This record gives sequence, structure tokens and C-alpha cells, in this order.
Amino acid sequence: MSEAYDRGAVEDFGRWQEFRAGMWAWIFHKFTGWVLVGYLFTHIAVLSTATGGAELYTGTLQGLEELLIVRLLEVGLLAVAVFHILNGVRLLFVDLGLGLENQDKSFYASLVVTAAITVASVPTFLAGV
Amino acid sequence: MSEHYSSFDRGGPRWLLQRLTAVFLIGVLAFHFFLLHFVNHAADITFMGTQARMSQVGYFATMVMFLITATFHGVNGVYNALVNQGLSGTRKTAVGAVLTLASIALIAQGIRVAIAMTNLL
Repeated sequence: MSEAYDRGAVEDFGRWQEFRAGMWAWIFHKFTGWVLVGYLFTHIAVLSTATGGAELYTGTLQGLEELLIVRLLEVGLLAVAVFHILNGVRLLFVDLGLGLENQDKSFYASLVVTAAITVASVPTFLAGV
Repeated sequence: MSEHYSSFDRGGPRWLLQRLTAVFLIGVLAFHFFLLHFVNHAADITFMGTQARMSQVGYFATMVMFLITATFHGVNGVYNALVNQGLSGTRKTAVGAVLTLASIALIAQGIRVAIAMTNLL
């Protein structure tokens, strides 16, 4: 079981050298969560062009996809989503009482797998730009 | 004893719903990314292709459930993070109201867009 732990204020980031794996996982999960919820609102806004007709929708999406910065941001989004998923699975296991003793190793594994999937996806995301 | 970090009060309804929606989202988010970036390349997406997918009842229902659960999971996560960082009193009530309204607006607009993507109307 876990126990209450006074981690102090995250805003006091000057303490970062004291942070251990679990703290970094918590910060990364929070950061990726903020990015994903922000993207969700943006995503629906862009897809809303579908209410303006087929040409507007197709033109908007294909126009965005022609921009290198959009492709690079998509790679970043993939990295953020994959880490949030993998660390989320890790959190579910910890909540079920499984793997708390190895939670630092599972955090490092989440980072390594995220990096591997992200790097492997770069050619697909940048194709044709 | 290992340290357990979380922005949530374990055992509460917000904590439980966050976990339940997470289980659904893990699968659907991975499916969504894979389908629209690897099976169908994002640069090749057209309204016709989107309409063909969204006009399938199962796909449409999955995407609407994806929208609702993702909105809840995201906004609930933001709310709990803010409460965890000390948000309380009137501010907590106000932030909760604003986030609830934003969620309702996003889901309503998302469903409107989803319907516009089908050939049902």
C-alpha cells in the first residue's frame, strides 16, 4: 500500500534535483495531460470545418498537413499521447496494488518505449511534406 | 515504503471515474492514432473518407463515446490537478462551473460535427 507523502509544492521547481522517478512520472503525466486536453479542444475546432462543407474540411486538413511545423507537432503529440497511455497503464497497475515496488523501473520503461515508438513513427509522419 | 504520487483522493468518485474512462481511452486513443496516421495517412484525409467512416454506426458511436470520455477524463484531470494544488472555496466552485460549461460546449459541438460528417442528414 502507499502512504501519504508530503511532496511539497511542484511550483518550487528549484528542488528538481531532489525529485525521484515517481515525482518525474507525476510531473510528466500532468504535463502530457494538459497538452492532450488542450489539443482536444483544438482538434474539435479544426474538425468543425466539416460543418462548412466538404471542400472547406478537406482543404483545411490538407492545407495544415502541407506545413512542416504541423507534421513536427504531430510527432510531438504522438510522443505525448504514447507516454500518457503507457504511464496511465502503469498508474492503473499501481492503483491495483501491483508493481509499486518497481514503479521507478516501469516509469523508465514507459520513457524508453515512448522514445522508440516516436522515433519509429517519424518517417510515417513526415512522408510527403 | 515506496512513495505514491497522485493528484486524486483515492477511492472517491472522481478518482474511480478517471480510472474507468482511462481503461476505455487507452484502447480507443491508440486505435484512433493508428487508424488516422498509419492506416490512413493524415495528409490523405478527405471529407469523403471521413464520411465513409463516420456513416458506420459502430464507428460513429465509438467516436462519440471517445469524445465524451476524453472530455470528462481531460477536464476531470485538470480540475483535480488544480484542487490538488490548493484550489478551494469560491474559486474552486467557479473553476468547476467553467470547466463543466466548457465540457458541455465541447461535447455538443463535437456531436454536431460528428453528425455533419455523416450522410445521415
